[in-house]
Amino acid sequence: MTPAQEVDYILNDCFFAVGQAVGTRKALDFEVIPWWRARYRAFFLHAMTANGNSWLKDRHRVMAVGRFLGQRALHHATDRQSIDLHCAAVASHEVEIGCRMNAVREGGAAPARTLDRS
Amino acid sequence: MNTGESDNGTHDPSLADLDTRPTPNEGPDTCSTSEVRDLEQEVEYVVDECFFTVGQVVGMRTTIDYEVVRWWREHYRARFLAAMKAFGNRWLQDRTNVTSVAIMLAERAVRYSEGRPSIDCDAAQRAAEDVERYCTLQARRQARRHASDGRESALPRIAGYWCIYDPEP
Repeated sequence: MTPAQEVDYILNDCFFAVGQAVGTRKALDFEVIPWWRARYRAFFLHAMTANGNSWLKDRHRVMAVGRFLGQRALHHATDRQSIDLHCAAVASHEVEIGCRMNAVREGGAAPARTLDRS
Repeated sequence: MNTGESDNGTHDPSLADLDTRPTPNEGPDTCSTSEVRDLEQEVEYVVDECFFTVGQVVGMRTTIDYEVVRWWREHYRARFLAAMKAFGNRWLQDRTNVTSVAIMLAERAVRYSEGRPSIDCDAAQRAAEDVERYCTLQARRQARRHASDGRESALPRIAGYWCIYDPEP
């Protein structure tokens, strides 16, 4: 399977993880789905092309990051009926800052770099 | 999960009206190459949202094996795409119904994985069989109801068509 094919399975896996953290407390606006998909598909594909597909090894950690993304999106949606694009974008920004810091701390090849294009 | 939550934030799949009765297009062969390309992009959003919903319902009770992700994706993406090619992209109209079925899928998978560390392929496939049986029954009931009302009873499989539409008729 090519990275371009494999990445779709990985994204499904990550959407599952985000949903786990959100739980049934909030709905998700549909427009968030294409936004998150486009964003992380590009990041993941870049990581897979640069570093190879290490999903099975990294899955546990990236899924944890996905759950963190869900938690932050839920947090930002406190006063809203659902998680909208703004909440999703703010949550992504926070999570990606954390991933970059983690990548720097771990010296490069950490799974968190799947979120880092640099 | 999207709309239609009950007081506890969940949506009872038994209440879902699965018969959305779309009017089919002239058939899968009528889609142009660019339309098919658009649908292949749009079906990814549908599959993503279903995985999100399943994750919501599973919550932190357990997790899923990666093989399950592969199996569910391949199984449902093909059905969803076939339905979309036949009936057009009706996701925004149908998503409440379909995600209600995804809730049922998740609950069944959790039940079948009791005593195991995670939802494995066996549990996922048994859950999918249950859900598809439910959708098929709903389709037949809806078809009978429409027939008894004197309405045309064609396309009885349209009810629940997102998950039971045969990708290779």
